[in-house]
Amino acid sequence: MRETFGKLLVSLGEIHRDLVVITADVGDSTRASYFRDRFPARFFNIGISEQHMVNFAAGLAATGMRPLVTCFAMFLMRAWEQIRNTTARMNLNVKFIATHAGLSDSIDGSSHQALEDIALMRVIPNMKVVVPADSSEIMRSLPRIIAEERGPVYYRIGRDYSPPITIDISDEFRLGRATVLRDGEDVTIIGAGPVLWNALEASKELSRIGIRAAVIDMASIKPIDEDVIEKYARKTGAIVTVEEHSIHGGLGSAVAEVVVKRYPVPMKILGTITFGRTAKSQEELIEHFGLGKNSIIKAVAEVMGSGRRSRVS
Amino acid sequence: MGNGKSIEDLELLAIRIRKHILRMYLNDQSLHLGSSLSSVEILTTVVFKYLRRTGDPINRDWLILSKGHAAPALYAALAEAGLIPLEELEKIHSINSILQGHPEISIPGVDMSTGSLGQGLSFGVGVATAIKIHGGSGRVYVIMGDGEQDEGEVWEAMTHAAARKLDNLVVVVDNNGFQLDGFIDDIKPKHYLPHVWRAVGWKVHICDGHSIASIDRSISDAINSKAPTIIFAKTVRGKGVVEIENTKSQKPGVEVVKRALINA
Repeated sequence: MRETFGKLLVSLGEIHRDLVVITADVGDSTRASYFRDRFPARFFNIGISEQHMVNFAAGLAATGMRPLVTCFAMFLMRAWEQIRNTTARMNLNVKFIATHAGLSDSIDGSSHQALEDIALMRVIPNMKVVVPADSSEIMRSLPRIIAEERGPVYYRIGRDYSPPITIDISDEFRLGRATVLRDGEDVTIIGAGPVLWNALEASKELSRIGIRAAVIDMASIKPIDEDVIEKYARKTGAIVTVEEHSIHGGLGSAVAEVVVKRYPVPMKILGTITFGRTAKSQEELIEHFGLGKNSIIKAVAEVMGSGRRSRVS
Repeated sequence: MGNGKSIEDLELLAIRIRKHILRMYLNDQSLHLGSSLSSVEILTTVVFKYLRRTGDPINRDWLILSKGHAAPALYAALAEAGLIPLEELEKIHSINSILQGHPEISIPGVDMSTGSLGQGLSFGVGVATAIKIHGGSGRVYVIMGDGEQDEGEVWEAMTHAAARKLDNLVVVVDNNGFQLDGFIDDIKPKHYLPHVWRAVGWKVHICDGHSIASIDRSISDAINSKAPTIIFAKTVRGKGVVEIENTKSQKPGVEVVKRALINA
């Protein structure tokens, strides 16, 4: 994912001459280094100072420049209050590209694994939150967001692991619009990020036993596609969500907020319940924390057996 | 604003601004009186002698009140400058007033929404950098508190400003010797700060923060300096209300302030 991001950033730099990139001593790790090499005068490595980085970018934005801040999701969170009190309160045009999110930094372990960031960003007024599923979705979404969005956006990506999830999708990316990856009538699985791969695998396996599970890519977590959530709540009567994030305050919570408002149906929220840990790969961690194919199938069985609301077609 | 008024004119303006703050207190005793009164001459000098407000974002000056709790002093200065209606001042903190407890950019003349300490300098470094990149003529004035210097982000920002050699950046510290809970030396001494800023690469001035002539000399030197400049302006918390001068108290009471208003 970061390779895609790094290369895309260079082409975005060609298009938008006012685009400047700011990082906190992680230019190589985030692949913002490609932008640095192409546009050295528009690249700021401000040192290991995330709080300053956020307000520095706010100052650049206040003059009309188009700053893009990139660093590890976890360490951007130490500047939450700066993001809230300056960037968001002034509704400034700053894009935060948070890398190494979720369980993607498998080797570094719990200190580096941001599993609370969606919750923290989602509650901030003016902030939008996007979690692309894979490299293809980065290519479809980031150029639009940079070109069209004038306020702050939190854009959450992982590290290297990017199974092909949206490679066949050609729809234009729109904030607030979900992508239906696989249609179904019996249950709905809503996810964001690479775990959508596991959701698709689960859906394929379920179809072999006659359960038709819809899979929805909710890359735009805020604003969220309320209409699609209601439509699939009515159509399938049960929802499972899956994310590389805490079960508190993330995608699952965002979906639940819509479900209780628009059309209550039983839900199961899959995510982490505590800190991460080290493993050799992100895939291993996804399995370990109960976000893999089999865990999703189990959740589907539970939610379908829990007094599912009758379907309305 | 910024039209090169004489020292005498500025001193008269400072008196008017101080009186506005005292009258605001009579309408609402919850405002940060002592730390607003200590900032009066600093704000008067910057706003009425130096600040050039016209022009695009890179060719005008920026004023950032990083110690946002001195908002009443800023509002009084902006009212004297004609940006805020004078009659709005007495409505401060009212639910239907534009004058919020801390500065918001929705208020005319406010360049940065502040209130959380330690953030204004970083923002100022961003603005000053943008001005430099575009070859603009704007300058950035950041007013900080001395208690605020405790914040770690100040270190992050001051080291970056020095590395970028931002000679269009001027910081004035309202050095009133107090932070919220009390006397600075009792909480965390900061007497070494001028040495620290100088060692990092800043030009450092120390001046009398209630003498407009003294502040003026320091700022005049700062804008001709080739390095970012910080001015430690020695001030008295509660200046003008003798009962609370050099104390942490922000609440002298209405009768005391009425007397101070008569004597001001």
